[in-house]
Amino acid sequence: METTAANMLSPELKNVGDFLAECIPFEQLDQKELYQVAAMMEVEYFRSGHVFKSDDDAGGLRILRSGAAELHSSDDRLIDRFGETISFNLMGLGQEQPGIRAVLIEDALIYRLPEDAYQQLRQRHREFDRFFHSQRSRRVRRAARRETNPSELMKSLRDLMSPQILWVLPATSIQATAHAMTERRFSSALVMDQSPELGGKLLGIITDRDIRSRAVARGISFDTRVEHIMSKDPLRIAAEGTLFDATLMMTQSTVHHLPVIDNGQVVGMITSSDLMLARRDDPVFLVQHIRRQSRTEDLKSISSALPDLLVQWVHAGVRAPQIANVLTAISDAITQQLIKLAEAELGPAPVPFCWLGFGSQGRGEQLLGGDQDNALLIADHLSPSDANWFKALAKKVCDGLNDCGYDYCPGDIMATNDQWRLTLTDWKATVNRWMRSPTADAVMRVSIFFDIRAIHGDASLCSELQKHMLQKTRGNSIFLAALAENVLERSPPLGIFRRFVVEHTGEHEDQLNLKKRAVIPIVDIVRIHALAQGIPEVNTLARLQALAQTKTMTIGDSRNLQDALRVIQQTRLEGQVQELKNSLPPSNYLNPEHLPKLVRKQLRDAFSVVVDAQKIVKLHYRPGL
Amino acid sequence: MLSFQRMIARWRAHSNHTPLSPTLINCWHDSPKLKKALWKQFDFLVVDTETSSLHPQDGELLSIGWVVIRQGSIQLNSSRHLMIRPSQSVGDSATIHQLRDCELNEGITEAEMMTQLIDAAQGKILVFHHASLDLRFLNAACQRCLGGPLLLPTLDTLQIEKQRLERRNQPIVQNALRLGSCRARYNLPIYPAHNALVDALATAELLIAQFSHQWTKEDKK
Repeated sequence: METTAANMLSPELKNVGDFLAECIPFEQLDQKELYQVAAMMEVEYFRSGHVFKSDDDAGGLRILRSGAAELHSSDDRLIDRFGETISFNLMGLGQEQPGIRAVLIEDALIYRLPEDAYQQLRQRHREFDRFFHSQRSRRVRRAARRETNPSELMKSLRDLMSPQILWVLPATSIQATAHAMTERRFSSALVMDQSPELGGKLLGIITDRDIRSRAVARGISFDTRVEHIMSKDPLRIAAEGTLFDATLMMTQSTVHHLPVIDNGQVVGMITSSDLMLARRDDPVFLVQHIRRQSRTEDLKSISSALPDLLVQWVHAGVRAPQIANVLTAISDAITQQLIKLAEAELGPAPVPFCWLGFGSQGRGEQLLGGDQDNALLIADHLSPSDANWFKALAKKVCDGLNDCGYDYCPGDIMATNDQWRLTLTDWKATVNRWMRSPTADAVMRVSIFFDIRAIHGDASLCSELQKHMLQKTRGNSIFLAALAENVLERSPPLGIFRRFVVEHTGEHEDQLNLKKRAVIPIVDIVRIHALAQGIPEVNTLARLQALAQTKTMTIGDSRNLQDALRVIQQTRLEGQVQELKNSLPPSNYLNPEHLPKLVRKQLRDAFSVVVDAQKIVKLHYRPGL
Repeated sequence: MLSFQRMIARWRAHSNHTPLSPTLINCWHDSPKLKKALWKQFDFLVVDTETSSLHPQDGELLSIGWVVIRQGSIQLNSSRHLMIRPSQSVGDSATIHQLRDCELNEGITEAEMMTQLIDAAQGKILVFHHASLDLRFLNAACQRCLGGPLLLPTLDTLQIEKQRLERRNQPIVQNALRLGSCRARYNLPIYPAHNALVDALATAELLIAQFSHQWTKEDKK
């Protein structure tokens, strides 16, 4: 293609080309083409609140040069939120999802590639085209995900179906068919004009129930040809379908057997019991299953399957916050079951008590490889002899948890430690001691123990203790200043010019510790605001929502931190899945160089959000210090 | 005001027997009168220059960059960056504008630049950030080449910003009206070290941001 100076970008506008080179998928174009594309751009500016509607849009691909936008569906659901370097083509999105619109949530400078130039570019570059194609469906899928629990339902039928087919010719007798079904333990048979491998045509289906209701009950001769009682032209399902599609089809049509078709050929069968079986990895099922176990070994075998399940869930598209929910629910269930097993052995508790979870379990943010953080809260008036019962309980439960892969806490924050097996009065006294003298140790304790949740037993004890804690922290400026110092100690691994700061030596050279340098700083920042306001939520996302509701934080700041936490946790989770697939133990380290460009950019943005939020903490709680 | 100045320019040209160039007169005839509420219907030529000093007496134009705004959007394919061959070495000023003698010697003459500028400016409103500085040089060059000063309708994003801050009773601190500081107020990105074209683009973006904030009714659909 011949180019003249007129349709090339002036070299002086290199910054425009450089910016485009940062945008996915423009980075795939070579420099020459990139500059040609850049020269066709139009630059527009719109204020926050401006709405682009798909039905009366000028078209073209819009790239955010600065600012942020949201995509909303016609029924006003939030589909996506994005910022700088992200592009969207409203016409294309509108074809997929009529009525979709883009709303600017910040003032935005936008580069617009006119529609015809955009379409030409897509035609010339398959990679480019594919990106926008998949981007579209990904966004739409993401929107769908908000409604149902995705987990297993999106599993492909190809993986679930039984590839074995029992088939008979139409002239086969009912008896011979029944015999074949019994012999091969099938509850149905397909009636075909010849073998499916030879391209046989599916004529009908016959099931146990057909033989019962259409043959035996009516007294038809067993020598009758099976074609007389079969269901003709049965429902079938495509192999590309999902578990969800099959479930839907079966419930709507009340059939229990579906032939699976690929390229017009029968390739397998799926039955309602396959569907039941497929759901055995479902977290809900898993929690119920844990409740039925009567031995520690059995609980252990369930928890040892967690890494595999985690890999599956992440692949099925379950996002980090839900995964953390599920993993926490499972560790809760295992703890509860261990307590019940211990009670069965030790006899009933002498006085009411509550088993407390702290740290990530307390916050409902557990991933794999976490330690135990627990304690016992016992009702007042505990006699010394009864204290032994609790000691024995703690030992059994903590040992059991360790067996199930929840390692003993290296800091000994466990119910087995006499210090953390206290009556309500003693717990309150301990809290008072911490608040009176905010030493480094006390501050550290608070950041662990104040993320508190009742795991088992009398939850009212737990809420009374938490109420006491919040009374003490709310507006306590001296203590909050000490806590803020701790919050500011760890900054995100972002250097000057927004480069990642990685470890320079040791086992994790060139890697980042996402938990230590990114997750914990966010959790710390949010905790201090929550404690200062006396907010009882402990989950970080829930705390952020509460902080926005009470107007302690602007909606923007709250959303930014929520998004930052989600991005970081998702990256951490995907890193762990990668490690599990390489048979490595899940860690919290990753090398930023190994991440895709978009993820690196998102991480960098997330870290900057944390840096900003730390500044606010400094301003709020340590003014002039 | 503009027509009065033009009248004086005609009279002066007449009395000095140095005829005004017909292209300039033509350009005057075509110049539109801006209605701010309808700004998207107007065409703008956003211009920035680099010079070897702050005064036309002891300095000259070295380069000029411009870009067109049409229907409210900046047309990157309209962007131009022209180097002008100087009559003397740029000397120390090279440290500011980063233009060296060797590059400038490949440039065009002032008259060629002026012809292209007038051609591009036809029917448009000129826009500068800190217009008086650029116009000082452009008027002098226009006088030399076309027999009279530019005298085209002009907007100054610096003045627009200054009025906006004054209207809001915001104190104007040092550097508050620099291009970068103005842009930051509209969430516009930071641009690297400047040349005339990047600054023209930066000014154009500032202008559409200012218009969007002050003279565009957002139809919140």
